[in-house]
Amino acid sequence: MIWLALTLLTFALGVVLQLRFRSPLLNPTLLATVLVGGLLLLTRTPYPTYTQATEPISAFLAPAVVALAVPLYRLRALLARQWRALLLGGAAGTLVGVGVDTLLPRALNLSLEAQRALSTAPATSPVALQLAHITGAPAALAATLAVLSGLLGALVLPAFLTLLGVRHPLARGLALGAVAHGIGTARAREEGDLTGAASSIGMGLAALVVTLVVALRG
Amino acid sequence: MPSQTAALPPPVRVVLGLGVLVAFAALGEGLMRLLHWPLPGSVVGMVLLWAALGLRLVRLDWIEPAADGVLGVLGLLFIPATVGAVQFLGAGAAWGLWLLVLLAGLLLGAGVAGLLAARLVRADDGGAK
Repeated sequence: MIWLALTLLTFALGVVLQLRFRSPLLNPTLLATVLVGGLLLLTRTPYPTYTQATEPISAFLAPAVVALAVPLYRLRALLARQWRALLLGGAAGTLVGVGVDTLLPRALNLSLEAQRALSTAPATSPVALQLAHITGAPAALAATLAVLSGLLGALVLPAFLTLLGVRHPLARGLALGAVAHGIGTARAREEGDLTGAASSIGMGLAALVVTLVVALRG
Repeated sequence: MPSQTAALPPPVRVVLGLGVLVAFAALGEGLMRLLHWPLPGSVVGMVLLWAALGLRLVRLDWIEPAADGVLGVLGLLFIPATVGAVQFLGAGAAWGLWLLVLLAGLLLGAGVAGLLAARLVRADDGGAK
């Protein structure tokens, strides 16, 4: 029970700190992971004990993935008006991301576990987690690498897109959502409503594209 | 027609919405088991819900409070999984390579998405030059 409480409280603390310091990098998931992970190591608590204690949280993962349909439905007018840019741009970006995350680890001869876990990183973490059962990746690693992809994307992509001359808010938001999912979308919202909306669409489509790639490859 | 759902107490609306969301996850999972397709039931459930909303089989206000609630704390829901990364601290220097792979995927993927979308975007939105 104490581990459940600690997980909830460190996440809430992370949100408080993030609101206070207004940085997407002060990420509540990351903070809670580091604090709780550190405590597990310090107390020598086995990870399975922890997952069992936090099962009530994990129970909400499946409904949360289903709920990704809601932003897609809410933004249907934008999606209908700009479907070429959003669908083609988003699908192409996510496919390239998955391609790099699949082929580069092979070229670098990384461990099989890492190869499998990296291949789903452009999908939002709960989806990467569900896909781990299919790819055979360690679920914890797949979820963590997806989070890191989001963080890294929020950090480097806005400046990179500016460097490439991508200025339209739809294109910038879509690019962030297509590879950096949730955390990228939080960052996109800081640039404006349209950027945030495009990023939500990019994130929803990425979940579908990565799932299809995994299924077709399987 | 004014919605009856709006008259429900807020906690009950959340319960109703969660029920619908979980039902779609279960539906997706059942369907995949039936068809022997290797897709996660929840992702299939998301597509089914998207279609059901579009066909007005499910009304947005049934699920809105629950969906906004779970998506609002999405970052909490996979902490039990990410904490498991402590098992991989032994990988040490490999983490650097993993981050490098992620960075390459991000730059190439976002570059393609951004450039392609900027080219295909219709002029009537946003208008930022």
